[in-house]
Amino acid sequence: MSQRPTGEEREVRFLSGATIDGAPIAYIVVLAAVVAALSFIPFSAILALGGSFPMSQGVYPLVGWILGPIAGAIASGIGRLIGVFLAPHTAGPVPAASVWGAVIAGFAAGSMTLREKRRRWWIPLSVLFIIEFLLFIGRAIFLNGVGVAVALLNSFVDWSGIVLYVLPTRTLFARWINSKNIGLIAAGLFLGTWMIAGISHLSVTVILYFMFNWPEEVWITLIPVIPMEHLFRCLTGAVIGSGVIAGLRAIGLVKPTEAIY
Amino acid sequence: MGTPIAVFDRLSYMYPRSPEPVLRDISLEIREGEFLGLIGPTGAGKTTLCLTLNGIVPQFYGGRFFGRVTVAGLDTLAHPVSRLARHVGAVFQDPETQLITTSVENEIAFALENLCVPREEILKRIPRVLAAVRLEGTEQKHPHELSGGQKQRLAIAAALAMQPDLLVLDEPTSQLDPIGEQEVFAVVRELNEELGVTILMASHAAEQMAEYADRIALLSHGELITIGTPDEIYSQVELLHEHNLRPPQVATTFYMVKKAGIPVPNVPVRLEQALRALDSLRGECRIAPPQVFPEPLTRSGDPLLSVRNLRYAYPDGTEALRGVSLDIRAGEYVLIIGQNGAGKTTLVKHFLSLLKPTEGLVTVDGADTRELTVSELARRIGYVAQNPDTQIFNATVGDEVAFALVNLGYPREEVEARTAGSLDGLGLLEVRDAHPFSLPKGDRARVVIAAILAMDPEIIIFDEPTTGQDYRGAKYILDISKQLHRMGKTVIVITHHLYLMPEYAERVIVMGKGMILLDGPIREVYHQAELLRSTFLSPPQAVLLAQRLARREGRDFKLLTPREVADCFLPSKNDEIPNGRA
Amino acid sequence: MRFQTVERDSLFTRLDFRPKLLMIAVISTVAFVWESPIALAALALVLVIACLLAGVKAAYIKTVVRVMIPFYILLLITHGFWNTDQVKALTGKEVLTPLFTFPANWWLIGGGGMSVEGLLYGWAVIFKTLALMLVIPLGIFTTEVDNMIVGLVRAKVPYKLVFIFSSTLRFFPLLFEEIQTIIEAQRLRGLAVEKMGPVKRVRVYSKVAIPLILGAMVKSQQLEVVLQSKAFTGSSERTYLHESVLRRADWAVIALFVLLFVLAAVLYFRLGVGKFAWLIFD
Repeated sequence: MSQRPTGEEREVRFLSGATIDGAPIAYIVVLAAVVAALSFIPFSAILALGGSFPMSQGVYPLVGWILGPIAGAIASGIGRLIGVFLAPHTAGPVPAASVWGAVIAGFAAGSMTLREKRRRWWIPLSVLFIIEFLLFIGRAIFLNGVGVAVALLNSFVDWSGIVLYVLPTRTLFARWINSKNIGLIAAGLFLGTWMIAGISHLSVTVILYFMFNWPEEVWITLIPVIPMEHLFRCLTGAVIGSGVIAGLRAIGLVKPTEAIY
Repeated sequence: MGTPIAVFDRLSYMYPRSPEPVLRDISLEIREGEFLGLIGPTGAGKTTLCLTLNGIVPQFYGGRFFGRVTVAGLDTLAHPVSRLARHVGAVFQDPETQLITTSVENEIAFALENLCVPREEILKRIPRVLAAVRLEGTEQKHPHELSGGQKQRLAIAAALAMQPDLLVLDEPTSQLDPIGEQEVFAVVRELNEELGVTILMASHAAEQMAEYADRIALLSHGELITIGTPDEIYSQVELLHEHNLRPPQVATTFYMVKKAGIPVPNVPVRLEQALRALDSLRGECRIAPPQVFPEPLTRSGDPLLSVRNLRYAYPDGTEALRGVSLDIRAGEYVLIIGQNGAGKTTLVKHFLSLLKPTEGLVTVDGADTRELTVSELARRIGYVAQNPDTQIFNATVGDEVAFALVNLGYPREEVEARTAGSLDGLGLLEVRDAHPFSLPKGDRARVVIAAILAMDPEIIIFDEPTTGQDYRGAKYILDISKQLHRMGKTVIVITHHLYLMPEYAERVIVMGKGMILLDGPIREVYHQAELLRSTFLSPPQAVLLAQRLARREGRDFKLLTPREVADCFLPSKNDEIPNGRA
Repeated sequence: MRFQTVERDSLFTRLDFRPKLLMIAVISTVAFVWESPIALAALALVLVIACLLAGVKAAYIKTVVRVMIPFYILLLITHGFWNTDQVKALTGKEVLTPLFTFPANWWLIGGGGMSVEGLLYGWAVIFKTLALMLVIPLGIFTTEVDNMIVGLVRAKVPYKLVFIFSSTLRFFPLLFEEIQTIIEAQRLRGLAVEKMGPVKRVRVYSKVAIPLILGAMVKSQQLEVVLQSKAFTGSSERTYLHESVLRRADWAVIALFVLLFVLAAVLYFRLGVGKFAWLIFD
């Protein structure tokens, strides 16, 4: 400082600001609005693949990594909910399930924390995901006569997501996303999205499957389609995530306490 | 004027992680019932100063705080922001982000609900404040249905509903069109004069501030340079220039007249003062015969851009353009003016094939734009849209500038060369590896311009490049446009800041309600005061002075700038001519 | 952005949001559990009629159905042809009733055939999704945002969450417009999405979200300042301009749906009403 101010220095106390779990409410609002807006951009139009998913699916994990588990789940969930309310016809056959998928993705992504405090949050989540997986695949194999090999191949993105989440790869990806190396960040985002979107996919599918009970033939035809779609989801997550994280670091916004970027 | 509502006592403030104070040793009183104007270039600390009043600085931002600010007797460090908010109503620059609810009445109620004001009382206050800003009957409307000026008036109404002791407005008109600006100033003046609301308003609109403020404080580099009545401040033309501020045109004009050795007792800062001064000046000096300006260049050859009977209707049927016909030839510098919604952007989007005519024909160099793709046209026509932040996709300035070149498939060496050239041309080489978002907003605008110029287009369109920029920032961008024009490019500029353009534009197109109201050389168009007024545009003050002179002298003075007007006044024969210039 | 797109004043627009929330919950649960094509068809039909009575535009319902038609066809084909194990278990039959069978010498599909039971199961799923999709416009399109917000607060949802919900609704259209602006800006920088392969296309297309998110985060700082200067603290202790009072009709609807739910549960578990085999394969 070139010249000392003449007024006496005062103690600055933080008296203001509404937050949820350390994330300013304003951040949650704008990211929820982003999710809602991206819900309207379908990827099917540009991919011409059978299934269609909105671009918002590529950013749920990112929202969790920026805001932390609770605020991340709220932002993705409310954003998706509004997307569903405003245009139910884009929400898929079970609107509530797609909201649930967004909540799970935001929460699971935020739970990849490197902080000491929430070190164990992954355990109950893993239990939940494994139960979901067993319900899903169990119903397929034992009730609807789907072959074991077919069931495992078809659910590749689901169980690979769980495996990556249960293993220390969970925190490894978090460290990559947190690093300074652009290549590592992109890899962390890609694999992190694979893992989180896989878990989220499972959480939605288990509900849908209870309704649709696809026979084995459908399972077989979907074997190549699901991972393809998933790859595009991860590509989206990595491209958007790298750009956004680089930008956020450049802007120097106050980081939410639970952010892992 | 009575007791102080707010007192700054040796206030200094540093943002976290910033070594230099953004405000330094500010001591100032805001008096009850006054309209205090706050002026200063971008980065002077105006916004920070405004935010100290309700405690957001430093309670939200943190950092180091020296001295003391009291509002209505409350120390801003000792009371939470939500308590201070009762006393300080705040209105900000961006009309969009400051409206946070889904209807007009909810917007007004929001702060009151937070303050636990009973429902019956809220219901009483809504019609009162809506009447105060003349928005009666809009209670149920969604903010989306309001114009820019209405949105800002709603923001004012919402602040007013808290019945604050002080209303702080931070550049409330900088994003508005001229009509919105007029609306907001009119409302603020009424509140101040008729309801006695104390006002602190930061603004770059020199002409209006001179008109409405009781006092003006000049802030620069975080320091309070001077404070006084508008007459005291705005007549110090040199001081203002020193701080990159623009005085009202009448002040500049009479300052120049004075410099020419003609006795001007007081440099006027308001138009009616200046018109009176002009009348009395005629006795003091000789009037030079009207300057003869060269006929504007008429360019021959086939038009580069041609529009024939263009009609455009949005899918919902709203007509945005009708009966539009015009030709623009290579090398022209065209200014398009008009209120928001007049169809300016809709028109230029047709040149780029971003919109296709509902009826009529738009051609670029003879080719129908319907047959051309956007990316083909983008090589030839560069379009710099208003908000730089929606035009930045890459993580470094260098990549951003190279982005289009890579897309268009140029070979690597050429991408390199063009990128470097474009960065150099806009003084961005040093920040080549920086993230665009780490630069200030004015510089981000330059990055976008560099990225467009890298494509080396023949035609460059600037859509409201001066909105939200201070005087220096606006001039910087317009100087680039001038350079491009000298290089033989065709330049089209859309702006609301008419006073900036005489040095640049050759031709002006006035639009209103989707039609071309007037199209001609700038000297002709700016002097069609009646027609401009009919669409709520006002010619620069220098033009109005020239018209007054013309009426008094009975001759035509087609003048545009303070310099041209000042040059008409010659010292009487017996006066000395200083500096040998007349 | 407004939720209430219906113009007709009806019982649905006059009801408080809370009974409607309960209605959505009860109908969704019942639709999720039921597997009977007859029960689900009846439910879907009731919902279509209710939607139309409430003023939901027929065109809207048509769009919903049109979007889903390919999916519905897929459901009918797959369940008709291949859903055997499950429907056998549900009906307790050893042999399914064939609707038709392809001659055995046909390539690939020879010998295969559609079963009545499988096809009916497909129909049941179609009606189920239809019910789940139609209950939303019935509850949401008939509700003003203000009523929804106060209704949620009265239903003890924390104000912070309700606030996020309502302001997301306010800012969503701004961001949606911004997406269009960004896409335009990209095209003006020479991007021709039509000419790219799928991977590149996804990479390029995704870039739209970068300025969108960064711009939103920059705006969020301004928003924070605005919120604070409006004395927002996130506290649930505040007053409300709009009221949300449960009137007699609201209580009646709440009672009705509680009753219906109990009834549906009793009938389902005691008498098998709503199970797949109900009324057709008993």
